[in-house]
Amino acid sequence: MQKSFLFAVIILGFISMPLVSDDGWGSLKGKIVVDGTLPEISKEKIDKDQASCLSDKPAPDDDNLLVGPGGELKDAFIMMYRKSSDPEPAVHPSYEEAKKTPVVLDNKDCRFVPHAIFLQTGQPLELRNSDDVGHNCHIITFNNEENVNLAKQDTVKITFSDADKTPGNVVCDIHSWMDAVILVRDEPYAAITGSDGTFEIKNIPAGTWKFQFWHKKTGFMKKLDVPDYKVGKIKADIEVTIKDGETLDLGKLTLPASSIKKK
Amino acid sequence: MRHVLLQTSRLLAVILIPAILAGCHSSPEPQFRFNRVALLKQEKTDLSEGETYPADYQQEIGNVLTALYGTPDQPRFPFPLGAEDPGHEVLSLENLERAAGPVRTDKLGRTAGLYRELCSHCHGITGDGFGGTAPSLSPYPRDFRLGKFKFKSTPLRRMPTDEDLDRIIRNGIPGTAMPSFRTLTDEEVDALVDYVKYLTIRGQHERRLIAELGNLDGEPFMNFDLLQENDPQGQQVDEETQAENLEEFQAQMYMVVGEYLGEDILSRWVEPEDEISSVEMAPAAFRLDHPAHSNLILQGKSLFYGKANCVQCHGETGLGDGQTTNFDDWTNDWLKTAGVSYDDPASYNDFLQAGALYPRPIIPRNLRIPVFRGGNLPSDVYRRIANGIEGTPMPSSPTLSNEEIWALVCYVKSLPYENEGLPRDELPVNERVVD
Repeated sequence: MQKSFLFAVIILGFISMPLVSDDGWGSLKGKIVVDGTLPEISKEKIDKDQASCLSDKPAPDDDNLLVGPGGELKDAFIMMYRKSSDPEPAVHPSYEEAKKTPVVLDNKDCRFVPHAIFLQTGQPLELRNSDDVGHNCHIITFNNEENVNLAKQDTVKITFSDADKTPGNVVCDIHSWMDAVILVRDEPYAAITGSDGTFEIKNIPAGTWKFQFWHKKTGFMKKLDVPDYKVGKIKADIEVTIKDGETLDLGKLTLPASSIKKK
Repeated sequence: MRHVLLQTSRLLAVILIPAILAGCHSSPEPQFRFNRVALLKQEKTDLSEGETYPADYQQEIGNVLTALYGTPDQPRFPFPLGAEDPGHEVLSLENLERAAGPVRTDKLGRTAGLYRELCSHCHGITGDGFGGTAPSLSPYPRDFRLGKFKFKSTPLRRMPTDEDLDRIIRNGIPGTAMPSFRTLTDEEVDALVDYVKYLTIRGQHERRLIAELGNLDGEPFMNFDLLQENDPQGQQVDEETQAENLEEFQAQMYMVVGEYLGEDILSRWVEPEDEISSVEMAPAAFRLDHPAHSNLILQGKSLFYGKANCVQCHGETGLGDGQTTNFDDWTNDWLKTAGVSYDDPASYNDFLQAGALYPRPIIPRNLRIPVFRGGNLPSDVYRRIANGIEGTPMPSSPTLSNEEIWALVCYVKSLPYENEGLPRDELPVNERVVD
């Protein structure tokens, strides 16, 4: 009996979902701010290739937790939350062109620049090495793995075919302090906060969607306070309604400093 | 008095005989071990400190896996499309039955229970790399559940071919505890290859389900109550609701089998042969007796210290002493959980309790010893350099040309014999080639 169920179910699964938004497009924006006393931010321990990596500069701060003077949190991810069984969102035509533009991840002064990246499946990722020392770019996420050798001044382009639910890590195995965060998704609806803590996701199909919040130092931000919204206890998701031609401003989102993990 | 003795002996018999019988022939049937390390990691990622997922989640994952994969004695495999199912290209149930269960002679007079007899001591009944010998071996035996394999003809994140697994079983892995099983028949090796794939797929599926726990919102993966004709109050469910319930159940079933297993895992296991990376012809100078051979070695040496970056990890001397503080992916999988640090053993004590092996750094290969784990054919070394080694820091080298890779193969193969016979401390530290 179970077998016959499965048969029917698998056929059902192949019926594709409509991908055109009839109801127009809208945007989502906001600003994430940390409230409270931050854990002490450690310096990177630069114990190899100092000549190329430091060139007499002092060791930089750990870039996994970058917070502005007003608590503005950099490199937090805001991403669409969709169970695999939920319909795929329509994709705005502007993203078609954007998808052809490579996302660049540079190795510069033995740091990954930028520290957090988002790209879509099929979109090129250009790995660069601007240093005078060799690196490798080891990307490990739940569904993807790439490990590219980068000689000095080398450039390599790669793409990913599988999407991930959560961001994964980029490390350089040669320089243990080097790390970055990467998110690969099928849909373009994700953003990373800038150094002012703000984010904006444009051209989301009008309708009701869930978005979730994540940072390397907190995981899913379950303790995030989003004014007028209830944040999911496990996946830190909120349900928003996007209206055609409008920008939904979530305002100032506050994260208690106590939810930041020390290590 | 006699009466009392008789009574006592009867009592003893009642208590002891079943106990003795049980001890004689039916030790408890072995069970697959739940991946508590993955669960702990998920809890630390999803939940607040100290919180755990309810125990029935673990029970349910166990139930789903038993329904689909059976037990160590009675393997099963989900072939939802019957004879047409693409799963048949991946493995055969007949092979699984031959490899699974206790050691015995099957109806055809062949040895069966091969996995338990030959593999489980190290790789564990579950294929979790945690057999009895595991903690004392270096490197640790492979934990199949991550779905990663080091030595194969396909690139990273592509599954090994049957031929790749066959080779490992027959040749063993030099420099590790993995012995050669060359005395097995072709059929027996085939059975073990399929069983390794079965344990891997089961383990991958388990990890996939654990990763989904946060999305369940307290609902089960598959709610069998939806199939009941009566509701919990004993009332008959009307036809319309029954149809809706059935649809919901089908959707749940599709997620668990169609998507998590079929699309996310099995699709990668179908025809990995298509993904085999090619090894192009070696230049003529690769031959030892070719006049330009020593030039090719020199070219390789220059790449080793320059463009190919080898020196960063394998060290100035090639002794594998360059970068010795990394971990492999099987360890990093839990060691990289937020809040865990290798320098602070107290931060990962709970992972060790849950069944993780003590973390040990991965040491780059000492290239002065002519032992090549992934095989010592030139084409094997070529693939290690071109593709990298999955689950380790060894990267792929897409910017090296075919000739450059062959030059490196040449140099690496010559390294063990460079300055052979000189006392160790007189080995010259290789001069860095200035470019």
